[in-house]
Amino acid sequence: MCVRRRCGVPAGPPWLCQASSSCSNLFVNNFSEVQGRKWKGEGTTPNLESITIGRCYDYIRVVNPAVGEKNCSELWEAFRNAFINKDPCNILPQHFELFFKLSLHAIPTDKSLFWENNQLLVNSFSNRARRYMALGDTLFGFFGDFLNWCGQENSTGLDYESCPTAAECENNAVDAFWRMASMTYAQHSSGVIHVLLNGSAEGGAYPVKGFFADYEIPHLQRDKISQIDIWVVDDIEGPNTDSCGHNTVQILEDRLKTLGYSVTCTDNYKPVMFLLCLDNPDHSKCTLSSSAPAAQRGPISSDRGGSWNKLMFVSFVGFLFRSVLVY
Amino acid sequence: MPSQRGSARRRQRCVLLAGIAILLIALVLAAVLASVLTGSKEEANPEPLRWQGRGTTRNLREIVLGRCYSYLAEGHAELRDKDCLKIWESLKAAFVHKNPCNATTEDYRPLMELTSHPVPCNESLFWSRTYDLVHLYSKCNHHFLTLEDTFLGYMLDGLSWCGDPSAPGINYESCPKWSECERSSGSVFWKMASKMFAEAACGVVHVMLNGSIEAGAFRTSSVFGSVEIFNLNPDKVSEIRIWLMNDIGGPQSDSCSGYSIKKLRNILEERNFKITCEDNYRPVQLLQCVHNPDHPDCNLCISSTEAP
Repeated sequence: MCVRRRCGVPAGPPWLCQASSSCSNLFVNNFSEVQGRKWKGEGTTPNLESITIGRCYDYIRVVNPAVGEKNCSELWEAFRNAFINKDPCNILPQHFELFFKLSLHAIPTDKSLFWENNQLLVNSFSNRARRYMALGDTLFGFFGDFLNWCGQENSTGLDYESCPTAAECENNAVDAFWRMASMTYAQHSSGVIHVLLNGSAEGGAYPVKGFFADYEIPHLQRDKISQIDIWVVDDIEGPNTDSCGHNTVQILEDRLKTLGYSVTCTDNYKPVMFLLCLDNPDHSKCTLSSSAPAAQRGPISSDRGGSWNKLMFVSFVGFLFRSVLVY
Repeated sequence: MPSQRGSARRRQRCVLLAGIAILLIALVLAAVLASVLTGSKEEANPEPLRWQGRGTTRNLREIVLGRCYSYLAEGHAELRDKDCLKIWESLKAAFVHKNPCNATTEDYRPLMELTSHPVPCNESLFWSRTYDLVHLYSKCNHHFLTLEDTFLGYMLDGLSWCGDPSAPGINYESCPKWSECERSSGSVFWKMASKMFAEAACGVVHVMLNGSIEAGAFRTSSVFGSVEIFNLNPDKVSEIRIWLMNDIGGPQSDSCSGYSIKKLRNILEERNFKITCEDNYRPVQLLQCVHNPDHPDCNLCISSTEAP
């Protein structure tokens, strides 16, 4: 089972933006120091309670006060009760039902953004719910993003030493949370839905077994959705594994059309391309037609030679004029 | 008989005087009681001072602690010994029960000391009037760090706090705007943090300025212009690179050859800094285009294709 929200899993490009350093650390002790540890995965994030309660208040006071008042301690309790004192290999999405009920809020119409294999890019693109509201921009997504947790059987404590990986337990607490989050997010999305796929991903842009395929599409509410816009964006220097009308994207398009949705598909959607171009501004794919030298805006008086060029030009014109006058 | 009438009159006078005396005593008692009651009511519900800015962010403690632990969870080795509870206590001590118009650098010194950490050379990114764009950029390019990406800046960015002499010591209703008093809690804090951020900078430093501001991209009244440039160390900083960004589709009020940049150059060159300036630095301009994809200035040479 895919474990999208566990950092480091999305195969492929060095997708930029947002918290990649937090991702890199969660795998530090993945397969080392296994002896004496129950599980192979990293343990619960230290100070999880403080971080999540803090994020909850951060969200309702600063990030998105429009959601109104929430009882963040109650939210934490509901979250925690979903998986403590239980077999960490048998946590199901419905265990988190109360948490999602308490943390639910409206997702503005036309602002939903689904994705696969490009989490960090999406965080940047959605601009913290100002442009789009991806799952990580909702209160419930913001609460748990980039964190790790698990409990123990016959103990009310969290396990800070190790947690099961998806390979060890399909029904682990983290995946159960994100499955429920995905279903809830899909159920409450409306208007024009956007889907951002990675056209350079190994195995295809649309994972036929994944969060989007298994938990989000089945929970979209057809009567609330006017259209689904798919964007397939390749890495700037990556292969063009998939694109609209081909391979896995075709599978997705067909599936959605069969379900009765109106579907559009765009390759290399421009706004997202710009984001990818940040790391490769001189790549041919990233050339702006307005930034060709002749069209450059205003004089650049820097040490990069702009003013010298201007001087030469003026001198030349002056010389020509003088020559004409002499004749 | 004359003596009988006289004693009756005397009795009447006594009764009258007694009545007046009782009335006076009753009035005095009422006045005393009234002042005691209103006095205690005032003590039970003291009014905080009134200011023009937004009040202290509610649940400030939880937010600051959560951000602190979150930042530490990212695994920065140089922050391993940081104690979030101690940091919170030192922030609290800096402003609770104090008049928010009389903040001092000494108030914040313990907090600054508890949270300071070195910034790698060539990574310091300063800014003025480009808040949204510069932070979008620093989140996308981890080779740059603004003050708000450092441990202390991250914890307090976007938050508001101020104290009040009356209980409970924190003013949740309002806080002074920077223009209301010279030494407001917020301005003293951010100026001090900015000073330390500038002092810590080394190698090549960058600054993102806004060329669409009519008053000029560089202003001596800004934190950058009044604090940061004067605390950069010419022995540590090899070069200052200015990125002058115009809003996409916005006015081109200023540029690298404009008056305000000349002024900035003079100030910095006098302090022996090497300065370069670039109008509309490409990578940042690409970021602007993310949010203005259809503007003519954002035409990619290879355009996207649409398939129904």
